[in-house]
Amino acid sequence: MSEKKILTATEQPDTGSALKKSLGMTSADVVFEVRESEIRGRGGAGFPTGIKWNLAGAASGSNKMVICNADEGEPGTFKDRYLIENYSLKLLEGMTIAGYAIGSSYGIIYLRAEYPYLIPVIEKARENLIRENLLGENILGTDFNFDIEIRPGAGAYVCGEETSLIESLEGKRGVPRNKPPFPVNSGYLFRPTIVNNVETFTAVPHIILNGAEWYQGLGIGNCTGTKLFSISGDIENPGVYELPMGSPISELLEASGSKDVQAVQVGGASGATITADELDRSLSFEDLPPGGSVIVFNSSRNMMDVLENFLEFFVHESCGQCTTCREGNVRLLDAVHLIRNGEISSMEELEPFFQLAEVMKISSKCGLGQTSPNCFIDIVTRFIDLPDEKEGE
Amino acid sequence: MSRNPQEIVSDALAEYGSGREAVLQILTKINRELSYIPEEAVAAVANAVGVSNAEIYSVISFYSFFSTEPRGRNIIRLCTTISCEMNGSREILETIEKELGIKAGATTPDGRITLETTSCIGLCDQAPAMMVNDTPHTRLTPPETRRIIAGLE
Repeated sequence: MSEKKILTATEQPDTGSALKKSLGMTSADVVFEVRESEIRGRGGAGFPTGIKWNLAGAASGSNKMVICNADEGEPGTFKDRYLIENYSLKLLEGMTIAGYAIGSSYGIIYLRAEYPYLIPVIEKARENLIRENLLGENILGTDFNFDIEIRPGAGAYVCGEETSLIESLEGKRGVPRNKPPFPVNSGYLFRPTIVNNVETFTAVPHIILNGAEWYQGLGIGNCTGTKLFSISGDIENPGVYELPMGSPISELLEASGSKDVQAVQVGGASGATITADELDRSLSFEDLPPGGSVIVFNSSRNMMDVLENFLEFFVHESCGQCTTCREGNVRLLDAVHLIRNGEISSMEELEPFFQLAEVMKISSKCGLGQTSPNCFIDIVTRFIDLPDEKEGE
Repeated sequence: MSRNPQEIVSDALAEYGSGREAVLQILTKINRELSYIPEEAVAAVANAVGVSNAEIYSVISFYSFFSTEPRGRNIIRLCTTISCEMNGSREILETIEKELGIKAGATTPDGRITLETTSCIGLCDQAPAMMVNDTPHTRLTPPETRRIIAGLE
């Protein structure tokens, strides 16, 4: 087992050492280092972080913003909670470095409403950093100022989407915006804004201290860095595991003690559901994009129960803006009920629902409606044994 | 005991300002203190921020944590998403419903407890889990759940 811990290593670099090193570099060099590391967003979408920072740094406009997306709501995801509980100093340091890199003096952590007990944890870390002159005014004797505020959400899965999150921060319904303009040019209150995941910011101090080349070497194949996985379901030791990006899924299952595997879902309810024959597939943006959630189902599980649970989740969490997502998820849930009560008994009859799933993917504005049909397609085609044509025809 | 809505809104405005971007924080404060957001508070916030009541109401209705109906002194949010369901959240739900004599979504007649089911609360590694007000409770069993409920004021 090659569990390689960086973000969750017991021994952590001294707090502030990466920030100190950054302040000795030009902001362009800090962005360059992050870009060269090829780290991609750890929230799931996988946008290259360095490119985002570069665009925001170059954008015209004042009062640039650094926003941390701590709204992990994907079923089965709890890695950001774990990072905040244990490594909040590194998170705040990463945000501060981002502030220096793009020329911002203000950061906001959008914390999901379900994590109120993490507020004191972050507040305490913030106070420690201010005391050490690693946050606040004239950081480490320079003219760089940066402070961080926590803003709790109010319970909406879709607010994990970055433009919904920004809308929510502006005091509105959390519905996704049209892009462009992209947040790097016009985000929170029309200001140039970067929105990065908790894990992404937490990785930044390590990248700055050890360099882009070191970070690249941590991944497998074309992937760079390590990744945190929240694994739950039918396994011996549920929890957060850190592995090189690109690791085969079998390695994660071995580390967490799974014995009986019928199916594994990677990337949460909106991710991919694979069978026990596919465990050599890799946890990477090229194969199974790893948002962070991995859920294991043993052979006793009825995958239709699983599918029903997921679709009920999406029906509840769709923001309602796009018709295809708002109505489409309801129809897919209908199809599940029809299969269960025997009214649909062939793949032929499911054809309109597969077409609907495709329409949802291409016509929904944000990731929610674009990915919610995944579980329907994967589970119905791989785990449900229906004949191609209706019997007696 | 509880302060009047007007007073809470004034406090919230003093703390967060009356900018549009303060709306979620203002509503959160009212919702926490009163357990819900009454109509007169909606009007007061709308007036202070300079938008219509409907606009504020649309924000309230969007988020799961906000309510326009009075709720109990304690709010139980039991996770029913997949990892919790696989680990017995259904049994826990039945336990609570039986113990309190109410269904999910309702409040006990004495106003002590509101029971809600919720989407994933990020405690899947310690399933089944629920939040009681701001406190997470994990690896629930029926006896443990009954004990937690009995301890609520």
